[in-house]
Amino acid sequence: MFNPLEHKGLAPDQQLRSWRELNVDPIDPEAVDPYTRCRIITMNGIEVEAILFSHQFARNCPDDEVRRQLAYTRYVENQQQRVVNWLLPGLASVLETTLGYEQVAVDLTAWVARHEPDPYLRQAYEFGVLEDFDHLYRYANLYEMVERRKAEKVVDALTEVMPGRPTVHEHRHPFDEVRAPYDKDSVNPQSKLNALTILSAEQQVAIYYMNVGPQYMEPIARQLYQEISLIEQEHVTHYESLLDAGENWWERLLTHEYNECWLYHSFMEQESDPRIKAVWELHLQMELGHLQQAADLLRRHDGREPEEIVGSAGVPEPLLFEPNKQFLRHLLATQIDLNKLGEGYVREAHERFEWMQEQLHAGEKPPSEQVIDMHREQFGDEYRIETEGPHPVQSLRAAEGDRRA
Amino acid sequence: MPEAPATPGPNEDVVSLLLTQHARIEELFLLVTGSTGETRAEAFNDLVRLLAVHETAEEEVVHPLSRTLPGDNDALIDERLAEERQAKETLKVLIEGGVDADGFDEGVLLLRTSVLAHARHEERYEFPRLRQHVPADRLRQLATAVRAAEAAAPTRPHPGAESATANAVVGIPLTVIDRIRDAIRSAAD
Ligand SMILES: [Fe+2]
Ligand SMILES: [Fe+2]
Ligand SMILES: [Fe+2]
Ligand SMILES: [Fe+2]
Ligand SMILES: [Fe+2]
Repeated sequence: MFNPLEHKGLAPDQQLRSWRELNVDPIDPEAVDPYTRCRIITMNGIEVEAILFSHQFARNCPDDEVRRQLAYTRYVENQQQRVVNWLLPGLASVLETTLGYEQVAVDLTAWVARHEPDPYLRQAYEFGVLEDFDHLYRYANLYEMVERRKAEKVVDALTEVMPGRPTVHEHRHPFDEVRAPYDKDSVNPQSKLNALTILSAEQQVAIYYMNVGPQYMEPIARQLYQEISLIEQEHVTHYESLLDAGENWWERLLTHEYNECWLYHSFMEQESDPRIKAVWELHLQMELGHLQQAADLLRRHDGREPEEIVGSAGVPEPLLFEPNKQFLRHLLATQIDLNKLGEGYVREAHERFEWMQEQLHAGEKPPSEQVIDMHREQFGDEYRIETEGPHPVQSLRAAEGDRRA
Repeated sequence: MPEAPATPGPNEDVVSLLLTQHARIEELFLLVTGSTGETRAEAFNDLVRLLAVHETAEEEVVHPLSRTLPGDNDALIDERLAEERQAKETLKVLIEGGVDADGFDEGVLLLRTSVLAHARHEERYEFPRLRQHVPADRLRQLATAVRAAEAAAPTRPHPGAESATANAVVGIPLTVIDRIRDAIRSAAD
């Protein structure tokens, strides 16, 4: 097993980049492995979280020397984010990037759900993934209407496109989004990394949608981004509440850097594009340097060894982007009608849920339903990619006239 | 050749129609770069035909209309026309050499990059202004002109006497471009 704590990595003063080094060539959107795009989107979300976390830490830290050290590393994290996100091509549209974001949410969360040791946490991922799965389907229909292109161009046939837990049913009272946290002292270290990873990805999705949504002129596009961005915000609440609020700033910093090491190492091992692989390799060396610093801070200010936080066994097995079709079909067949109440999961539409639904929908169909109606009206059918047969849930099968059924 | 995307009825406006053509152009590029032999030659032939129809329609109908919109649009439109000219140069070399020529692979990638970037520029900076300023009826009416251009362009001859490769080498003669142009002009009035 790869143990990041045993490596020194790149020294801090070797981590700054010039304009020339920042000016990376983007991927070719017409010839990219969809999972390379997914890895880029994931690492962008991870770097954004590194930056936001560091800012919050600095605002809560009275020690000037630590604040200067945080500022320096944060500058490096910012350059990392600029490099990673700038690998995305200007040729791609906002909606194409959106389809990439939802593909990430589906296949990343599915992998994590399959590898989560704790049953309560696993349930949180299994629950959430069916919602992003549905977003992919709604956006794919919007994409064909607005840009006249097929989502297959972006996701290939690696991820199926069909209804998940219908977005209309995803709007719940915010009280019911709050989960119970893991216990930092007894939880498996992989669970900490899983939670931080999915939290970061969902946070970036929410930020992206709430900012790019108004760039569209088509009313249905503007409305759909509004609706789904509110769900993504709820996903952030859902996943962030899994973290133990008792973790102090020093151990949180350590976990963040350790997690970056795990993910860059994973993607370096899996990357099919040699040019992108070199980026993951370089960033891993940088993160190993950050981790050394975070470990020193932990020892100095908290009196603990990093192994007490993340264990001494090294990182978990590499996180992989790979198809999760059968797993997702199994979840569709068994958890489509699941709802949340308090910190648990129920099957009935309870009072607080109904109340929230009335406030939002006010007797009308939400944009996520309208987009499908409009697509059927314009094209005579809806857009789906069902490579493994009809939808496992009878009531969600495509109606007559589907081009692709 | 990929199946034609669903064509949504008479309510479709010229912008949607051009977007559909952009999508088909992308698909044909994928087919040309990802195949060999007859399949590739046929795909390239389809691509050449579609590009002729599409760019001629834009030059005749869309760009002139954009010039008349409020604000100073000339610089923007001149840039689009320069891109189209540059793509045509590359296309001419590719047609003359044929799909089996040395350097076809590199040439087609260059052409793809410039044509698709051109299309994205239109989608980002030109089409939204048309939807914003031109009445919906007029945009629907112009779709008819672009469809007329499609009908006037020759489809691929039946495989038989000539091989598909030979057809691709022939490309679209100037007289055909004139025919497309005439069809657009009479339909747009
Ligand atoms: Fe980083
Ligand atoms: Fe989502
Ligand atoms: Fe989400
Ligand atoms: Fe870092
Ligand atoms: Fe165009």
